[in-house]
Amino acid sequence: MSSPVASATNAPDAPAAVPAAGQEHYFVLNPVAHARRQFRAWWQARLPLSDSITLTQRNVYILPTRPGFMMGATLLVLVIASINYQLNLGYLLTFLLAGCCVVGMHVCHATLRGLTMNLMAPDPQFAGTSACLRIALSNNRKSARYGIGLAVLDLDQDDRWAYTDVPALGSSTVQVAFKPGRRGLHRVPMLTAETRFPLGIFRVWTVWRPAAQVLVYPAPEAVPPPLPAGEPRAGGGATARVQATGEFEGVRAYRRGDPLKLVVWKKAAKSEELVSRDAQQAQRYELWLDFAQAGLQDTERRLSRLAAWVLQADRLGMDYGLRLPGQQIAPASGEAHKRRCLEALATC
Amino acid sequence: MLSRLAKLPRDSRDTLFLLGVIAWLVLPQAPHLPVWCVAMAAGLLAWRALLALGSRPLPGSVWVVGLLVLAVAATFATHRTLLGRDAGVTLIVTLLALKTLEMRARRDIFVVFFLGFFTMLTNFFFSQSLLTAAAMLLGLLGLLTALVNAHMPVGKPSLAESARTAGWMALLGAPVMAVLFVLFPRFGPLWGMPGDAMAGRSGLSANMQVGSIASIVLDESIAMRVRFLGPAPAPGELYFRGPVLSTFDGREWRPVSPRLGSGTTALTGSSQLQVSGQPLRYEVTLEPSNRPWILVLDAAAKPPEAPGVDTIMTSELQWLASRPVTDLLRYQAESHTSFRHGPRSFAAVLPEYLQLPANRNPRTLALAQQLKSDAGLRTGGPEALVRAVLERLRTGGYGYTLDPGVYGAETADEFWFDRKEGFCEHIASAFVVLMRAMDIPARLVTGYQGGELNKVDGFWVVRQSDAHAWAEVWLQGQGWVRVDPTGAIAPERVGSLRRLQPPRNALASALGNMTPGLTVNLRAAWEAINNAWNQRILNYTQSRQLNLLKDIGFSSPSWEDLSHLLISVIVLVALGGAAWTLWDRRERDPWLRLLRRVRGRLAAAGVVLPAAAPPRQIAGAVTARFGAAGAPLADWLLQLEALRYARAPSTSLPLLQRDLRRLHWPEAPT
Repeated sequence: MSSPVASATNAPDAPAAVPAAGQEHYFVLNPVAHARRQFRAWWQARLPLSDSITLTQRNVYILPTRPGFMMGATLLVLVIASINYQLNLGYLLTFLLAGCCVVGMHVCHATLRGLTMNLMAPDPQFAGTSACLRIALSNNRKSARYGIGLAVLDLDQDDRWAYTDVPALGSSTVQVAFKPGRRGLHRVPMLTAETRFPLGIFRVWTVWRPAAQVLVYPAPEAVPPPLPAGEPRAGGGATARVQATGEFEGVRAYRRGDPLKLVVWKKAAKSEELVSRDAQQAQRYELWLDFAQAGLQDTERRLSRLAAWVLQADRLGMDYGLRLPGQQIAPASGEAHKRRCLEALATC
Repeated sequence: MLSRLAKLPRDSRDTLFLLGVIAWLVLPQAPHLPVWCVAMAAGLLAWRALLALGSRPLPGSVWVVGLLVLAVAATFATHRTLLGRDAGVTLIVTLLALKTLEMRARRDIFVVFFLGFFTMLTNFFFSQSLLTAAAMLLGLLGLLTALVNAHMPVGKPSLAESARTAGWMALLGAPVMAVLFVLFPRFGPLWGMPGDAMAGRSGLSANMQVGSIASIVLDESIAMRVRFLGPAPAPGELYFRGPVLSTFDGREWRPVSPRLGSGTTALTGSSQLQVSGQPLRYEVTLEPSNRPWILVLDAAAKPPEAPGVDTIMTSELQWLASRPVTDLLRYQAESHTSFRHGPRSFAAVLPEYLQLPANRNPRTLALAQQLKSDAGLRTGGPEALVRAVLERLRTGGYGYTLDPGVYGAETADEFWFDRKEGFCEHIASAFVVLMRAMDIPARLVTGYQGGELNKVDGFWVVRQSDAHAWAEVWLQGQGWVRVDPTGAIAPERVGSLRRLQPPRNALASALGNMTPGLTVNLRAAWEAINNAWNQRILNYTQSRQLNLLKDIGFSSPSWEDLSHLLISVIVLVALGGAAWTLWDRRERDPWLRLLRRVRGRLAAAGVVLPAAAPPRQIAGAVTARFGAAGAPLADWLLQLEALRYARAPSTSLPLLQRDLRRLHWPEAPT
């Protein structure tokens, strides 16, 4: 089973159907387009939310393409020529071509009909970067399906398609990307799949509204200031506690740059890996990333700076806490902690 | 070579394939195109192929526009117009070749595709034979393959895969083609048949230069097919009458001046015909000749029944159609082999048939005087003179040859005295000249004599090589009487139909020597297939279409009935499609269907479960809701699960279905 992966990027901002500024103006100037957009928005809102969709007659649409209309014109000219020159062989040719078009229409529709698409849960993203959506297409038919394109539905731009073939009784994965505009919990944008296989005279497509949501962290500030100074540990007993236990609680894998005095030589002798004492445990000061002390006026930029700090602190392997208006995350470290902090930044 | 082609990048490979298909489409009509057009198309295709092989960039638009202007100018220079069939064909072929230089995106293939279809159709202007049809079917599959291939954007799909898809589409499209072909209403030409539709066909001509039939006789193509509805006449009586030529300038025979062919004399022409005996009924399929001649056996008293064509008889017993025969024409006719035609006594029109060019053929004139003054013949009258001349042909050392050499100005003298050999036209021409010199009205009749019975399908095949010329002389009290002087020299040419064989190529003669019957049989079979093709496909005209409706049961079919029938078929097919769609929406897995039924009944009883709930989960819900009363149902559900997933299930689907019917459905605890 092969799984060809194709990808394309797409950069819609918010799915704002109508330009925000001068909406009335727009409506007056272009009432038909306005009505179309309204209709499309209403119709798309009716689509069920689901991370998995099986395409049937009910959610697959078909219309002729521009070459399809050209083909119709060609058939017309051919039949007129056949009539005028009384060419029975010309009739045969025209009608065989017409027959092929009818079959092509059916084949085109069948390429999507019966296909099952599954959206894999998307990973959280930073705002401003492209989020990747992985979609698994599975085919339970005994013949392959060719030339299926997937894209993020975008009303204002030409869709850019990621194409794939789905093997017989198999599946393939397609990646499409979209660029979330702002932090927060977003619904995955509407997706669309289309095919023009085999003749290109018909376009068969579907629109799919996934239920999954993607968490968008604030975009980290590009050049953040250094981490803030630590605060003395609450209760001032930090040093005492460390000394009282007589040894550090935590150990972790050796990282380049660790001072040699932190290496746990006893453990290193038993295994082949170097292990360092977790230095943060020894910190007398706690690192707090505080919204109130981030130093900027604009909330979003402050959150960006906090996100950059979180990443920086995590990179340095430090313990850090996060204080946001209305919530506080106690100092800790590790991937889960980082995620928790970023999530808090995304949704506050 | 093939492996190298397979290693090419996809775009190069696709382009080369498409170029091959285009060449295939253009090649059959190359002989009908201007030389510059063929050369230009070949050059462009070769240039494009080289660019594709080297994956080099395409030339700029200056080139394309320049070449286009050049092509249009050359077309105008060749045809003196840009409209009409021939100029159109030239332009389309050039455009098709030029477009390949602009083929950048795969989508450009559409323009090539559409132009390719027009090119394909233009092939049919020149030939609608089975061979052409087969070649174009291959071309169509090639174009479809290229189009399918262009819509497989991922990777490098194999062309064989695309070809298979294209083949399937054509195969499944064939029934649509058949229905449309049979039921699509046939009309006449919309704005009149363009005059250039039939240029460049060989066959009988209106004028006969002495020596011209000899060039036709090498043409083995078929002139007409005849099927007798009843017994066939003897081969010696198969004289298919074509143009009658009566004025002679020494080298060329022409029909009589037009006034004799006008309407009034046409009427007298038919009134001068008296037929007797049983008529022969037959059906003729006439190949297009672009002439109005309707060939019938001598002599047809009733107009041939040709659909959509009015026919009239000339005073010279020839039947003419109201329009040139530009496509295959089928008609039924009735002929009598015993008939009398022409005035019984000397009439005013007859001197026309006595005229000879002045100061020509002095030796023939002298011969005529000598025969006329012969005492023994004078008592016998014209009949005796005719017999004497035929006797002279038989015994005078005259010969029948396909290759008599080039005759000079005195054609009759040369035949009678110098060369003494010739083809039917020389013989007949010399004969008529001699008759006229003896004051016997005589004329030359051209047409076809004989034919060949195809034993496979029972059709008589008359070829261009059966073209023949014979004479008619007017005899007092009898009218016009056919005399075939060729029969006197070479009886086998007329009687047993043994024709002089044109020189054959090496392969054919080798085949013929090894298995004499094989080539004949193969040819007979091939021509029977070809004839079936002509009868069924090419000759499917409006009248046959309406006859078909009559057979189905329409009492007086019209094209409206055809449209209704066509629409009904489309509606029926659409309804079938809708039914299939409904059927397709049903759950077809019986196991899933059973599960859904149970889920539905439980939902009615107040236990709502998600659509994806497996039997075990449903069983759990049943037990939770109904307690002990639900045990049989829960048990049944577990059996259903075992049927699908257990290694060796102890039950079967019919068993479970029966159990479900007998199952005591639990009551909800109150």
